[in-house]
Amino acid sequence: MKIKLELFGASREFSEKDFLEFSLKEKSSIKDLRNEILSFIDKKFKSNNNFKKLVQSSSFCSEENNIVTDDYKITKAQKIGIIPPIGGG
Amino acid sequence: MLHAKIIDVSKEKIDLAKAQKFIISNKCGASIYFVGTVRDQNDNKKVTGITYDSHDALVIKSFEEIYKEAETKFKFENITVFIEHIKGYAALGDTSIIIAVACKHRAQAYEFSRYIIEEIKKRTPIWKKEHYENKDSEWLKGNPIKTN
Repeated sequence: MKIKLELFGASREFSEKDFLEFSLKEKSSIKDLRNEILSFIDKKFKSNNNFKKLVQSSSFCSEENNIVTDDYKITKAQKIGIIPPIGGG
Repeated sequence: MLHAKIIDVSKEKIDLAKAQKFIISNKCGASIYFVGTVRDQNDNKKVTGITYDSHDALVIKSFEEIYKEAETKFKFENITVFIEHIKGYAALGDTSIIIAVACKHRAQAYEFSRYIIEEIKKRTPIWKKEHYENKDSEWLKGNPIKTN
């Protein structure tokens, strides 16, 4: 299933677009998605450590606008937001 | 009563007068306006501006949750709150956030306003990219968002 990963904050440096697309197996979890993003960083940015740390410290947001944890099962193709560490105001 | 909004500065301006108009009430004897602005220095670097990024839906959800929590925590009567945060580029001195609170008494208004800004800092998905005098720019590190 296709996942459109919406980019925010520092993760916008991962692409010139506002999003990345990943193909995940059925019944994948957020942890699987995180691993796919880390593989993408390895390939496209030669294992850029800052980018990898950013992915590891990020949370994720479901299409229903809920923050979801690593064990959350992705049951359908959808948009998921990556939520890097925050600091507004 | 709450007003919560993200202001895309490429389309509209953040405006303190709107906050004043929204919170004014004869039931309230105290109004507090917290205004966040872009300052010229951070970590010994000369800052020329900040680009703010936002997950709009989550930001509004977070403002609403923080407001409801504060209502439950403090149990003040006749509270009116106005929260707007910008997204996009802000130059030195530009306003990034307005939190306006009207209550019956001043101690309540200070307390409510302080609670809101501190919680926004902890859990509202907004990001800052600082721009420096030497033309470099950098996303600030921030803190991982709280997951319940």
